[in-house]
Amino acid sequence: MNEWEHHIEVQELSTWFGKKQVLKRISCYFKDNTVTAIMGPSGCGKSTFLRTLNRLNDLIPSFRRKGIVRFRGEDIFSPGYSVYNLRKNIGMVFQRPNPFPMSVRDNITYGPKLHGVNDEDELDDLVESCLKKAALWDEVKDDLDQPAPNLSGGQQQRLCIARALSVDPPVLLMDEPVSALDPISAGKIEELVVQLKKDYTIIMVTHNVQQAFRVSDQAAFLYLGELVEFDKTSRIAEAPTDERTEAFITGRIG
Amino acid sequence: MVTKDDSRTQKDEVASNRIVRVKSIPQRILDALTDFRDADRPSRIDKLGRVGLLIPAFASTMIIILILTFLWYEAMPIFADPAGGPGIIVNPTWDPSRDSYGIAIFIVGSLLCTGIAIGIAVPLGLAGAIFLSEYCPGRLRQPLKMIIEMMAAIPSIVYGLWAYVVLVPYIGNTLAPALQSNPLTAWIPFFQGETNGLSLIAGGIILAIMLLPTVVTISADALQTVPRSLREASYALGATQSETARKITLSAALPGIGAAVILSLGRAVGETMAILMVTGNSLQIPYTIFDPVYVMTSIITNQLGYAFVFPLWRSALFAIGLILLIMSICFTITAKLFIRWGMKTRGMTG
Ligand SMILES: Nc1ncnc2c1ncn2[C@@H]1O[C@H](COP(=O)(O)OP(=O)(O)OP(=O)(O)O)[C@@H](O)[C@H]1O
Ligand SMILES: [Mg+2]
Repeated sequence: MNEWEHHIEVQELSTWFGKKQVLKRISCYFKDNTVTAIMGPSGCGKSTFLRTLNRLNDLIPSFRRKGIVRFRGEDIFSPGYSVYNLRKNIGMVFQRPNPFPMSVRDNITYGPKLHGVNDEDELDDLVESCLKKAALWDEVKDDLDQPAPNLSGGQQQRLCIARALSVDPPVLLMDEPVSALDPISAGKIEELVVQLKKDYTIIMVTHNVQQAFRVSDQAAFLYLGELVEFDKTSRIAEAPTDERTEAFITGRIG
Repeated sequence: MVTKDDSRTQKDEVASNRIVRVKSIPQRILDALTDFRDADRPSRIDKLGRVGLLIPAFASTMIIILILTFLWYEAMPIFADPAGGPGIIVNPTWDPSRDSYGIAIFIVGSLLCTGIAIGIAVPLGLAGAIFLSEYCPGRLRQPLKMIIEMMAAIPSIVYGLWAYVVLVPYIGNTLAPALQSNPLTAWIPFFQGETNGLSLIAGGIILAIMLLPTVVTISADALQTVPRSLREASYALGATQSETARKITLSAALPGIGAAVILSLGRAVGETMAILMVTGNSLQIPYTIFDPVYVMTSIITNQLGYAFVFPLWRSALFAIGLILLIMSICFTITAKLFIRWGMKTRGMTG
């Protein structure tokens, strides 16, 4: 049994860019092997929230935060905590596909090589298994050396998912992974998320309420930086407790 | 799903498109004229504009061709004469008074100087560019860049003067004795030889200093255009800042950086003033970095004034000029090919 209850726990998290407060005292947790959907209107701080969980916001000079985020029971902001280890354990898929300008294979092997995997056979296996998990293998297996930016947008995004999986993170952050894609590619990625749930803890930002209801187990609703609602998806879908949530899921705001 | 049949028809289409595109030149001009006649007012203006822009582009091509023909014409006598011939390129003896016009030492001198300059300027310049673009705090970046750009605007004679009073004596009095007395380096053959400082290495260093600003600013610009999202993707996989800079940013910017280096190569072989003042200009093949050298540009500058005494002498100097021009054209073409290859393997369009 683990000594921590949830993979990620957030306690009273507030963040600022300069003087502007973006997140306001957010508390929630993310269970193992679940999909959590984070919803909310544009600009409410969804991306900021995700990027705080893997400390990507640390790169922005004006960023400040208060509160605690625990990963496997440890405070990720405590001094001496390895941010590289954290990011290795918390993979991220971005809103826009951002494959590296190199071959499909090199995109997948980049992460593992950083973390010390150098055996060619092992890397080949990794490439195959990650691409299979991301449902891209059949489309690219004949030409793994083609430059990744030549793939279609949907393929690129699946490649980015495969790349995130390449370092085997128990947690996966996805920032509107399908918003830049056509419905068919979006559907594929949605299926993928449900598949991946078996092995990963997934936190997915989405604009699409129907999609959130389809794929997620629990859902969070952010409004102007506040966590307005956080509960099982089925419960929120049936009867939102906050009127702002209801307004959002019925399409009146957002 | 694309079936085999589909792909075949697609290929056929592509092929037929290609056939349509191959037109004779008069046909092309005629087509353009009829297009113009049939066009409505706005697209007529477009077409006029296109022709207007074509003229300067065409003119600059013509200028290159004219210069090439002119140099070729002037260099012809030496290449045609039995005393000269194409063999002068590999002949090391330059002695116009004895009808000996070997220009190999100048070519070797230029290539060595350029090689040393690139060897110094590229690593230093890249390091500077990476610092500027990846590590430098934002507030410092613009002022630093401005200072570096100002360095590029200093006239080369000023660099030459500085090198003549500072660098050359330093090499002669300090660097050479130090390297030759230190047991770690004293045995290296390239470090031997008496010197007063006027040397190959002085030329290489002064060229490197002159190339540095170009390498730094162009490379820094190339690094800066790498989108932030790529860096973030790298950080999100647990990469450190230096891993990201080396393996993602640098790799993505490589076509631009490579082109900067190759173009500065062209500038290095063509540089004249500063190098003339510090290389000693002695007619010999250098064997150590402290030997004096004579580079291609220096010999032209030094001797053109009295080369009219023998027509072949004059012609030989023009031959050197022709070779210089061909070299820099080669560098430019290499730069183009390198960019194209780099973009292709990286899946960039452009
Ligand atoms: N780097 C930054 N510097 C300053 N302010 C920022 C920065 N990034 C985000 N913000 C601000 O933080 C707020 C929340 O932005 P965020 O990107 O988290 O919104 P979001 O919920 O992801 O919106 P969207 O659905 O449009 O992606 C916005 O008001 C934005 O202006
Ligand atoms: Mg966002």
